[in-house]
Amino acid sequence: MSIYQSAVRKPVTTALIYVALAVIGIFSLSRLAVDFLPSMSDNTILVMTTYSGASAADIENNVTKVLEGTLSSVSNLKHITTQTKENSSLVVLEFEYGIDIAEATNDVRDKLNLIADYLPEDANTPVIFKFGTDDIPVMILSVQAKESMNGLYKILDDRLASPLSRIKGVGTVSISGAPVREIQVYCDPFKLEAYNLTVEGIASTIAYENRNTPGGNLDIGSETLTIRMEGEFKDPGEMENIIVGHFQGRNIFLNDVARVEDTIQERSQETYIDGVQGGTVVIQKQAGSNTVQICKKITEKLPELEKNLPSDITIGVVMDSSDNINRVIDSLIQTIMVTLILVVLIVLFFLGRWRATLIVAIVIPVSLVAAFIYLLISGNTLNIISLSSLSIAIGMVVDDAIVALENITRHIERGTKPKSAAIYATNEVSISIIASTLTLLAVFIPLTMVGGMSGEIFSQLGWIVAIISSVSTIAALTLTPMMSSQLLKLKTRKTKGFDKFYGHVEKALGALDVVYAKALNWTVRHRITVILASAAVFVASLFLFSVVPTEFFPQQDNARLQLTVKLPINTRSEITKELSFRIHEQFRRDYPEIEAMTFTVGQASEDNLYGQLGDNGSHIMTANIRLSLKTERERSIQELSDAMREDLRKYYPEIRTFNVGAGMGGPTGGETTVDLEIYGNDFAATDAIASQLAELMEKVPGTSQVTVSRDEYSPEYLVDFDREKLAEHGLNLSTASQFVRNRINGATASYYREEGDEYNIKVRYAPEYRESLDDIRNILVYNNQGQAVRVRDIATIGETMQPPTIERKDRERIVTVTCVAAKGAVLSDLVEAAGQQIDKIDIPSDVMIGIAGSYEDQQESFADLTMLMMLILILVYIVMAAQFESFTSPFIIMFSVPFALTGVLAGLAVSGTALGIMSMVGLMMLFGIVVKNGIVLIDYIVLCRERGMSVMDAVVTSGRSRLRPILMTALTTIFGMVPLAVGRGVGAEMWNGLGITVASGLTVSTFVTLFLVPAIYSLSAERGEKRKKRKNS
Amino acid sequence: MKAVFISFYQAFYDEVMEALEKNQITGFTFWEEVRGRGSRGGEPHLGSHAWPTLNSALLTFVPDHLVDKLLEDLRKADESAPKQGLRAFVLEAEERTV
Repeated sequence: MSIYQSAVRKPVTTALIYVALAVIGIFSLSRLAVDFLPSMSDNTILVMTTYSGASAADIENNVTKVLEGTLSSVSNLKHITTQTKENSSLVVLEFEYGIDIAEATNDVRDKLNLIADYLPEDANTPVIFKFGTDDIPVMILSVQAKESMNGLYKILDDRLASPLSRIKGVGTVSISGAPVREIQVYCDPFKLEAYNLTVEGIASTIAYENRNTPGGNLDIGSETLTIRMEGEFKDPGEMENIIVGHFQGRNIFLNDVARVEDTIQERSQETYIDGVQGGTVVIQKQAGSNTVQICKKITEKLPELEKNLPSDITIGVVMDSSDNINRVIDSLIQTIMVTLILVVLIVLFFLGRWRATLIVAIVIPVSLVAAFIYLLISGNTLNIISLSSLSIAIGMVVDDAIVALENITRHIERGTKPKSAAIYATNEVSISIIASTLTLLAVFIPLTMVGGMSGEIFSQLGWIVAIISSVSTIAALTLTPMMSSQLLKLKTRKTKGFDKFYGHVEKALGALDVVYAKALNWTVRHRITVILASAAVFVASLFLFSVVPTEFFPQQDNARLQLTVKLPINTRSEITKELSFRIHEQFRRDYPEIEAMTFTVGQASEDNLYGQLGDNGSHIMTANIRLSLKTERERSIQELSDAMREDLRKYYPEIRTFNVGAGMGGPTGGETTVDLEIYGNDFAATDAIASQLAELMEKVPGTSQVTVSRDEYSPEYLVDFDREKLAEHGLNLSTASQFVRNRINGATASYYREEGDEYNIKVRYAPEYRESLDDIRNILVYNNQGQAVRVRDIATIGETMQPPTIERKDRERIVTVTCVAAKGAVLSDLVEAAGQQIDKIDIPSDVMIGIAGSYEDQQESFADLTMLMMLILILVYIVMAAQFESFTSPFIIMFSVPFALTGVLAGLAVSGTALGIMSMVGLMMLFGIVVKNGIVLIDYIVLCRERGMSVMDAVVTSGRSRLRPILMTALTTIFGMVPLAVGRGVGAEMWNGLGITVASGLTVSTFVTLFLVPAIYSLSAERGEKRKKRKNS
Repeated sequence: MKAVFISFYQAFYDEVMEALEKNQITGFTFWEEVRGRGSRGGEPHLGSHAWPTLNSALLTFVPDHLVDKLLEDLRKADESAPKQGLRAFVLEAEERTV
């Protein structure tokens, strides 16, 4: 008994199997985590080595090059880039996508062990970090404070960060911008000198005075008691009255020579939220946990935590990644619903039967839920890719059900009872249904094998569509006939109103059949003309390639901007702060789209890892800007960032360089960039070329921002001790240097303890005594005999330039000139322009320039996808050749494939969309989709010929008979894509290209299938018959 | 005793069975899938690509007085959907059986 026969004979079993499938699917859906993108495997490993006191050039030679040499032999390595700064070297290893990162980490560790002995002795052991998509913060909170400002760090740490980090799934919670308390002992150098005191002496006295000492045990009677002497300060003010020395028989108290201030760290990062000082709390999640759930829990917990905070502290949300995720998911769910309704309406329009339409409307969701089961089993999430894949699948999976249903209806109309019709009609079309699903699988299974970054995204699309279409095929062979046998009636009693309305539709469809039959008749009789004209149209359409630009991924608008402004190096943070306020004020005034703006100025403290990873320094301002939703504003994120760049250039001449970045970075979001990489060993030569190139690129119309990666040389004062003079005074270099350091940077005397926390007690010169070079020259250095000598007598102070960070890529020094594409500008134009500019520059033989950035990724992916297209074409051909048992028929059907390209190019040109990776994927999908119609048509023509019709008659008859099914399946797919193509919701830009590609490509190739394919078929078939006749005669 | 050979489009299975039952004919031999073509027009049922449908065949031996009634019922079934095809042929049969 065949599968459809069993299904029809056992309706209960069949129905319950699908009910079970639906229940498991819905259960899976409830268990699925929601995220933005599929979790991509990490592909970056960082190796950090610190080497205190060494200059960038020394570290480059002794550490970085050694590491590069060994690490470059790790397998699957794509690029190795390094940054060498004073005191540290950072090696970034970028691997191919899809490798096992744990294994790579082990490889790296082994290599590091091998060369441990070759590194300089003073260098610390290299540390390995992994950085992946899971390390991107899930939420950033802003904290505004007034009176509590000085205690903010502790308050936040105790009452916000610790409770938050206890939430399940939350990883690290770090506080930045909040000042850390510190007890400052500010000394007056003149008084110190007068009383013969030193900073070191005071520091050690404070340390001695601030101490608890255990006194041992004492036996009293039958008990043993401990004795303790408590000397720790209970209040910083106590310090003022400790005796730090004696002078002429008098006690010198600390407050005679210094003042004690219970305040905050000097030189820390300051954060302003909408112009009010405060801090930010950065929350990262644990790997693999659910972003949306974490953010929800945090949001629920916040009001409760806020109650425990002092009343002047207010908490705001700067960034909530779940916000964007929820919006994207919502807009996608809407798209899926619209698609579903559109498809069902089309089916109703063509079939004109409520019950048949109901069957289709049930089969689609049943097939779709299978995808949720796959997602749960494979450990994936509900994300922008998986949901879009569902939307893409709807229009395609309905075809199987339609084909089966159409044939069943036809049999019933001829008088067969529904039960028998369901079995035998399904039997007739089962081979066609399976074949057309195989062509789809021939497209989507290879898609799961794409490598690289795009592969991570498309493998999910491939699997989902493959699974859904397989399930829908099985449903078309079992569920559809079963429901038809139960629901469809031999004599339909149509409701009157609908009947009246559908009467008109039926008439129109009938007229369409007649018109098409006439047109087809004309076509096959003028086939040479038609073929030549089509060829001409195709060739002409290829010229559209010059109009349609190319891109990689579409730029996305996630309503977030990042701004980095750099003033000339060494600018004081007060000046940077003042400028930041001006920028803030102007932006808030000119850009009503800004909802929140947070900016940070200053140097990040050493223990703030998150702050350290970003750009920081007294001359740098970084800002986070949250815009209103893209649907609620008129200017796009690209327009806004272009305008901001223009403002920064125009109104703030003091800015040395700035960077306005959209989105989260990474190739799938943010912006399109062209990186011009200048390789060369000579700093001066590459610097010159970089600045020349940057200047030229600024003038190219498509660029909105050009930045050079190498920082400028920073000036510094160099205190150069004379060894002979040091020796004369009985000093050595490190003692003398330490003296200078303690007075300027400060000596950490001891720790002040309060409520279980420790704060540094720092002793140094008061700020007013360290403002000029003379203050350094006048510093007194004491030797072991207690004799003092001034710095000016033993050292010269000169100004030098500190070399910048040395960047290297693939073992060669590099400077990168990054050009960001302006709104409307496209990658291909920019690359072309860059090529022209490079030609203008005179490049020395030892300098090399390459183009990377989005362009490199695009080229790689396009090459991958082109390969894949060939594979898909071959597979599709094989599937069809097997079905027709013929070499020529599939070849004729495949004539509709190039015309899909015509449609795609026309669609892209008309809508002004660039040919990106999404369009390429759309084009590949078309290979499988467009031939399906051809299969249906040619199959029927062959059948008619076998029934004894002449070629011409067979072509026209089948055309007329197959017009409706072809139109119906084509229209469901086209309209299934329309919501994606015209979507304007959050995150929709990603799928616009794909939607437009499939909709426009399929429209054109459907016409080709209806006219050109019959024309070519009739030509080749008649030739074949003539040949046969000649052989026979 | 007459032999009635009924050759019909598969979808008529239920109707044929009904006709047999109605006339209380219990014995028959049934072939589910056979190929065939009529001589008076109508669509062939050949199970091929061109004519994918199939016939079934049934042979039953019935007492003489039931033959006419059976044929009448089968004719009704045939006329309900004339294009599908149902034919019955009556042959002489001997009374000798084991």
